Amino acid sequence: MADRPTDNWLLEAKAVSLSIPVFQPEDRKLLTNPVRFITDLYLSKNSRQVAQLLRNISLRLEDGDRLGLIGLNGAGKSTLLKLLAGIYKPTVGVVTKRGLVKGLFSPTMGMNEEATGLENIYMRGLLMGFSLQQVRERVPSVIEFSGLEGAIERPINTYSSGMRTRLALGVLTMMQNPDVLLLDEWVGTGDAQFRSKAGNPVQQMVDGARAMVLATHNDALMKSSCTHGLVMHKGELVYSGVLNDALKYYHAEIAAPNDAQKKSAQKKSAQKKSAQ
Amino acid sequence: MNKFTSLLYMTYFDFVVSYRRTVLGPLWVLIGPSLFTLMLGGLFAQLSGSSEELFVPHLAIGYITWNLMTGFISDPTTVFRRGAPRILQGDMTLLDVMAVEVMYHVLHYLHMLPIIVVVILYYDSPITAWTAVSLVGLAILIINGIWTTLFIGIISVRYRDLAEMLPAIMRIAFLATPIVWLPSAGGKEGILSLFVTWNPFHHFLELIRAPLLGQSIDLLSWLVVGGITVVGFLMSALAYRSLAHRVPLWL
Repeated sequence: MADRPTDNWLLEAKAVSLSIPVFQPEDRKLLTNPVRFITDLYLSKNSRQVAQLLRNISLRLEDGDRLGLIGLNGAGKSTLLKLLAGIYKPTVGVVTKRGLVKGLFSPTMGMNEEATGLENIYMRGLLMGFSLQQVRERVPSVIEFSGLEGAIERPINTYSSGMRTRLALGVLTMMQNPDVLLLDEWVGTGDAQFRSKAGNPVQQMVDGARAMVLATHNDALMKSSCTHGLVMHKGELVYSGVLNDALKYYHAEIAAPNDAQKKSAQKKSAQKKSAQ
Repeated sequence: MNKFTSLLYMTYFDFVVSYRRTVLGPLWVLIGPSLFTLMLGGLFAQLSGSSEELFVPHLAIGYITWNLMTGFISDPTTVFRRGAPRILQGDMTLLDVMAVEVMYHVLHYLHMLPIIVVVILYYDSPITAWTAVSLVGLAILIINGIWTTLFIGIISVRYRDLAEMLPAIMRIAFLATPIVWLPSAGGKEGILSLFVTWNPFHHFLELIRAPLLGQSIDLLSWLVVGGITVVGFLMSALAYRSLAHRVPLWL
């Protein structure tokens, strides 16, 4: 992390901010305000409200870093991950990567419901950048891993959610280990029998990656897989340090006051009710 | 592997899978326009007071090519929403999704081509070197599909009105374009000439249809199509540069 001044970094974000204009309901429609539509498009006049999703975040991931993102819902953890993955582009600042950065956000997403399990394996393989021949070579091991031998020719809208997860995880075994792995919550683990049968490919990717960022609300999971923590609050980075300290800070400064607020709000409403 | 080949496979998968649970599959692409031509060819030939040999090829080529044009105008209003899972997973860029969409419509069009071939052979249209110009016209139309898909796609993510507006406009434009009627119907002076001269779809269609029917192409059509191509690409590039980074956030 930033306290080690080496030049061996894999992913760096320099003072990145992400904002998005929020429109008032009146001028959201092209027909009600065609002039605004044209000026927006070609002159980019911004006289609108702007929602700040991320504010001035800098971080540097180095070889061996295992970073946990900590924060309340809506703090910007997932947004930051998508930004680091290159899906969102920062409004201000730069994200630079050295090496393969891969985000695992929701592997069952993007599967074609009407297509068979086998076809979905091919599609995902092609999207990973393999040639048809390379996918073909990997298909048997994917099927074996997911344990879907009997169902692989069936469209996946006939699959149970457990089968879907197994297929998605099987597909992940094809993937080349990234240098930087970005995880939003721990990707599904399938049913218990499956878990004991095979090593979780997500775990293998975490072990194989040179650096990892994980966003989760599960403290135990974070403690078992991360060394450092970043605490985010309302789109800003408020604390960065060793994981245990970061978690302590989060619980003391952010989660607890928030709970207290909620409790007092509940109390108030309870009082109101009893008064009525 | 070559990116293009991989996108081509994606297109093919999307195409095949979209006909799942149909018995005839992509054959439906062929059946729809065939029925249209068979059922309405004779009727509209009578209505327009021209001969079947003249009218049916005109109708068939026009109707089939119109399918491609609506594919390039109406369908892009949802292209990035349909591609959202792929975009938000980081699997595909906006340009990848656009390319697959364009190739999908071309593939769709290719499935209808046999109808044009049959009609031309049946009605004995003259096949000369000039006929090949039709391919140039088709290539230009497809190239325009690239910018319309990108431009309309980006704008529609933000202004979802377009998904309502463009299909409505295209239904009107279908009747306002000489497909079920002949451009010569009202004479050069009549009100119909307005619909011909000021209708960009007519000019695109002319570049493809006229050579197949052994007719000449007006200079005006080349100019209009050329102008739209250049202006369209500039507009699209501008929209892409200024708005593309916001598309994933809008999705």
